[in-house]
Amino acid sequence: MGKPLLQINNLKTSFRIGDEFYAAVDDVSLTVNENEVVAIVGESGCGKSALALSIMGLHHELNTKLEGEILFQNKNLLSLSTNELNNIRGKDMGMIFQDPLTALNPLMRIGDQIEETMKNHYNLSKEEMKKRTLELLNKVGIPNPERTYMQYPHELSGGMRQRVVIAIAIACEPKLLIADEPTTALDVTIQAQILDLMRELQNQMKTGIILITHDLGVVAEMADRVAVMYAGEIVEIADVFTLFNNPLHPYTRSLFNSVPSAADGDRLHVIQGIVPSLKKLPRTGCRFSERIPWIKKEAHEENPKLREVEKNHWVRCTCYQHFDFPKDAEDLHYDIS
Amino acid sequence: MTFLRVENLKVYYPVRGGFFRRVIDHVKAVDDITLDLQPGETYGLVGESGCGKTTTGRTIIGLNKATAGKIIFNDIDLTRLKRRQFHKYRKDIQMIFQDPYSSLNPKKRVIDIIAEPIRNFEKLSPKEERRKVQDLMEKVGLSPDSIFKYPHEFSGGQRQRIGIARALTVNPKIIIADEPVSALDVSVQAQVLNFMKDIQKEYNLTYLFISHDLGIVRHMSDRIGIMYKGRLVEEGTKENIFNQPKHIYTKRLLAAIPDVNPEKRDEHLLMRKEVNEEFERNYEKYFDAEGKIFDLKKISDTHSVALP
Repeated sequence: MGKPLLQINNLKTSFRIGDEFYAAVDDVSLTVNENEVVAIVGESGCGKSALALSIMGLHHELNTKLEGEILFQNKNLLSLSTNELNNIRGKDMGMIFQDPLTALNPLMRIGDQIEETMKNHYNLSKEEMKKRTLELLNKVGIPNPERTYMQYPHELSGGMRQRVVIAIAIACEPKLLIADEPTTALDVTIQAQILDLMRELQNQMKTGIILITHDLGVVAEMADRVAVMYAGEIVEIADVFTLFNNPLHPYTRSLFNSVPSAADGDRLHVIQGIVPSLKKLPRTGCRFSERIPWIKKEAHEENPKLREVEKNHWVRCTCYQHFDFPKDAEDLHYDIS
Repeated sequence: MTFLRVENLKVYYPVRGGFFRRVIDHVKAVDDITLDLQPGETYGLVGESGCGKTTTGRTIIGLNKATAGKIIFNDIDLTRLKRRQFHKYRKDIQMIFQDPYSSLNPKKRVIDIIAEPIRNFEKLSPKEERRKVQDLMEKVGLSPDSIFKYPHEFSGGQRQRIGIARALTVNPKIIIADEPVSALDVSVQAQVLNFMKDIQKEYNLTYLFISHDLGIVRHMSDRIGIMYKGRLVEEGTKENIFNQPKHIYTKRLLAAIPDVNPEKRDEHLLMRKEVNEEFERNYEKYFDAEGKIFDLKKISDTHSVALP
């Protein structure tokens, strides 16, 4: 394991709704080392994308409040000016977006889109840039780089487009790559190819990767370490083997039991209730307590913090010690307030 | 008596061009598919995007026109019926759509959405209708008091259950579920899948379960058909497909699913690589000179594979 590349300390990202700010990411601390894949898992609305966008500094300035520290190569990203940030974004940090169709400009040729990032960060002649771009296209496995260079995004299939998005992200050989659901929009066979490609690139360039996904299969295949997020907080962090063999937090366990391929038995586990909206989120106590009402109040901590329960295995709140699935799960509830 | 049989179904879309925009070619969305559904079973239709699985489902329910072939339901060929005659059978085959956000009319209240099929097929007084809708709401786990709400007031899983309630109103025999959970989060997915299993038992429903997610199909289906380029490449029971896949495409699809066990990661990757190499090496063995898939051949009572 390499040395720390990115260090997030007590990050809190709040969005303005009306006149109030509500935290979508709350008290998140996370370290990404060189040549390491950290997966962030959670359901929609848990704050995993908000976290990624906070690291890249892509949130709207007026409507977002960022507190805490994001240390990247010993610089706090939150205190940099836009200009300074622009020198880092795209060069040392790259991002792969979820939907390859909306991430690409439909009016620009593929070649120009890839060169755009290089233009901003390097001083290269036209010929050099083209040469590099063709190399990149070749590297991400596009069969005919010369032709693709002149094509528009609509002429490519979904898998090819995602390869182009990856080519843009790695154009300046970033040290950190943030992949926000990179394969969600793709078919399984294409997904397998894209994951292979990411793994290969990581081995070559020793990049640190933050992989955001809701697919536990992808996590099992790619990640070194996994952070599980619920309602803006990290509820459990461990290396991938520990987390899959011995998940502790009730949310992690519920998640595992609701996936058809991971769950055993005929019935899938259903997490009661719904993810609370940003405004209604309980700000004190265990945020998951509402969804496991059969666990006694005393089992939860008043002010739960992440605690190291065994080496490098961190869990939030004490409720995991008392948690068990209900015997006869009744999974349909009146869940309308 | 055949319950539902799709026989040599073809759905072609014309490609026009040239002088006078004549038909110059066809896109063969579904190309000669035959499948049988038994009462009470779940048949999983799997394939990647663009393989024709959705078109097959839509053609059975009458949303697309079949170019050739038969859809036999209770010994009657539905493709030959006139619009008015077909109306009688519409009630027996219902559909659950993929996206709960776009398949419910945002301007209608829940009661109007769910009652629409009732209004088409049965004559009920407003009071009876309301009671029936409330019963159904309760059945799908939603509060009967919320029948005057609008779709936007519900979460994704709840909306999908409204879609299911709508499909259930007229006591259908077959439900075509086109990717019913792919727009939902895992925990909500579990809720909808469990619920679909429950009502299947209760109403003795037959499902045609269309999905690209093999994990979910494995969980739900009794029999599975794998589609590729508009044709079936393999068909069999769940065990046939997952334990003894014969066609290289099926193997490739199975190998592409990430394994949830991180300890078998390297093993799985190696296996995937081998299958992909075999796919390229033995392409001629499984596809004919034009790259077309062969016709299905029975290799056991339950298992058919497209081999020469």
